[in-house]
Amino acid sequence: MALLAPIISDNGTGYSKIGFAGNSDPSFVFPTAIATRESPASNSRGPSLPAKPGHLATKRGIEDLDFYIGDEALANSKTYSVHYPIRHGMIDNWDHMERYWEQSIFKYLRAEPEDHYFLLTEPPLNPPENRENTAEIFFESFNIQGLYIAVQAVLALAASWSSNKVTDRTLTGTVIDSGDGVTHVIPCAEGYVIGSAIKHIPIAGRDISQFVLNLLRERGEMVTVPPEDQLRVASKVKENYSYVCQDIVKEFRKYDQDPMKYFARYDGEHSVTGRKYSIDVGYERFLAPEIFFNPEIASSDFLTPLPEIVDGVIQASPIDVRRGLYKNIVLSGGSTMFDHFGQRLKRDLKQLVDRRIEASEASSGSIIRSTGVDVNVISHKRQRYAVWFGGSLLASLPEFYSYCHTKADYEEVGPSICRRYAIFGSVN
Amino acid sequence: MILLESHNVIIESTLAEKFLKPSVIDVQFVDYDGVRFHLSTPERKTQLLLSMHIRCWNELARYGATEVLQREYGQLVSSQVEPEYNVTLEIDVENVPPEGEQRDAFIRSIALLKRNALAAPFERAFSTQKTLEATPLPTDGSPAPQGEFMEIHYRDEEAIYVQASHDRVTVVFSTVFREETDRIFGKVFLQEFVDARRLPTIQNAPQVLYSSRDPPLEIRHVSGLKASDDIGYVTFVMFPRHFANPTVADSTISLIQLFRDYLHYHIKCSKAYMHSRMRYRVGEFQKVLNRAKTEVAVTERKTASGRTLVSR
Repeated sequence: MALLAPIISDNGTGYSKIGFAGNSDPSFVFPTAIATRESPASNSRGPSLPAKPGHLATKRGIEDLDFYIGDEALANSKTYSVHYPIRHGMIDNWDHMERYWEQSIFKYLRAEPEDHYFLLTEPPLNPPENRENTAEIFFESFNIQGLYIAVQAVLALAASWSSNKVTDRTLTGTVIDSGDGVTHVIPCAEGYVIGSAIKHIPIAGRDISQFVLNLLRERGEMVTVPPEDQLRVASKVKENYSYVCQDIVKEFRKYDQDPMKYFARYDGEHSVTGRKYSIDVGYERFLAPEIFFNPEIASSDFLTPLPEIVDGVIQASPIDVRRGLYKNIVLSGGSTMFDHFGQRLKRDLKQLVDRRIEASEASSGSIIRSTGVDVNVISHKRQRYAVWFGGSLLASLPEFYSYCHTKADYEEVGPSICRRYAIFGSVN
Repeated sequence: MILLESHNVIIESTLAEKFLKPSVIDVQFVDYDGVRFHLSTPERKTQLLLSMHIRCWNELARYGATEVLQREYGQLVSSQVEPEYNVTLEIDVENVPPEGEQRDAFIRSIALLKRNALAAPFERAFSTQKTLEATPLPTDGSPAPQGEFMEIHYRDEEAIYVQASHDRVTVVFSTVFREETDRIFGKVFLQEFVDARRLPTIQNAPQVLYSSRDPPLEIRHVSGLKASDDIGYVTFVMFPRHFANPTVADSTISLIQLFRDYLHYHIKCSKAYMHSRMRYRVGEFQKVLNRAKTEVAVTERKTASGRTLVSR
């Protein structure tokens, strides 16, 4: 029975990615949402109590089984109340999360948890209590065989090993994780997250879609598009047509000289009435991802460009790992999928670093020359679900089982066994 | 969700997607009871191979699983079985039914692969019962003829036993609880099955008998039965009305196959429910504790000369 593949479950704030180890894509990607019968107001009263015992087998309600998760939860949002059990990457409501896992294992994966090992993910700086609670649920409720809880950033680093540009498999590097809500820049040294240096950027997928929508509206393209479809159209434009340019001014000139060549056309269809519409996609093709590099074009409250943040994060890390952090900058998440995103980031970052080296050389009287710092940004094919893929990669290694906490260990020590983060050591 | 569904969601969703837009794929996944699937496109994008490994395949094949699969899938069953797997279906994406109800039904039937393979012994038992019923009972006092005694070792330590006799079909499940708590939950659950049947509304349900530790009489003669405290035996007695027509028989088979998983799923659900009550209770206790903090007495403090101290 130990032959059965471990289950990888990456529960994020927005979406959950679940599937079996050894595959290159998760089997299911659906919103981390649960729709329950109870009204949000009665939540303070706790879970519903069974009615007074009377006749055998007629007495109990089954409210606790009456719920949906994922896409079905959103589809039933009219008659049920929808909850999001994960907030800011951390589990907020354990009751809902336990039932969410229950249904994702039994209904979707159709696996008997007693036969499987599990790999779960956690955000950086997750309190140890959360880890203990998770272990408690998985070992006590589901009786799983073994559990490994990995930090998402470390898995993203592991996922980058699939790129052919990576020669040495190290767990040192900077992870830029950009999903739908927030972008994180996380430095990792030999598998450990440097918590004090983590930075968050309030620009991510949702903001880019909104920015594209604004651009299209200002140009007057959106008049033919029904209002309820506009945001969806904007995010489609973002996903399918956008790329990062190396020089905005040149790019604008290119578009103005030969609009026929560069302007694209997006054709859509109204989801209910079936009416066709089409819009011209122009400058937003290269302007959309530009808000990472020049945030002032979209917002007025956050103005630091991404390369500067990355540089700051690395400079805030201990001096002996900085070289490693510059050398291995890894992208993860859907909002880093733009063409040439990595090249642009590398170029901008290299400029910052070189300028600093020049300044320090000048101030030392030009006696000592620096050997220079390697800046490397790695992008690879599995970027979108990099965290899940990294987990799948690690869990398919034969050593995986020796890093897991097994059920026997758990029964011997108790939940505190998962308190400390066990590093997935020398895998290279 | 009270009942588990009998189709595999991964097969269903992946096929629906691949029929719309063929692309290269190579995934492995599982189903209950250690069944492994492998869905791949080894040669070209439009040729999908779906292979299944099921632990008790040799037994199932003996009870006619190959014929059942041949009947359900016909041309799809590939003559070349992928190594390490037991059955391989070959689906040509260019020749699937047109989009709409027909295609959905086609996809659904493939998603039921495991169910159909496991249905063979039950179908055989049902038909044996019909033939036994038709033949007259011996009048000389010798025991009534019984159908073949079928054993399906669908998990490492657990098995299903199926036997037909002239007026009923008996299905016995052996189930192992690895965990102390699970055993107690399981016991309560199975006792409830027995009790619930006394209700007037579910008189038509199959009779359920439960015994822990000691195997029921029907399977006493089987060798290798382990008598330990963590084993339980559940016996279902099904009468002809439970498989009178094909629709009823099909749903009976679908439901009874998943009995073990259903039981274990509900044990886990009740644990989850208990945990949520416990969390709520702890929360309430914490509120009480917080209220019980002693108040700091505020007394006016004065210096020796009688001036009040004022905190700034």
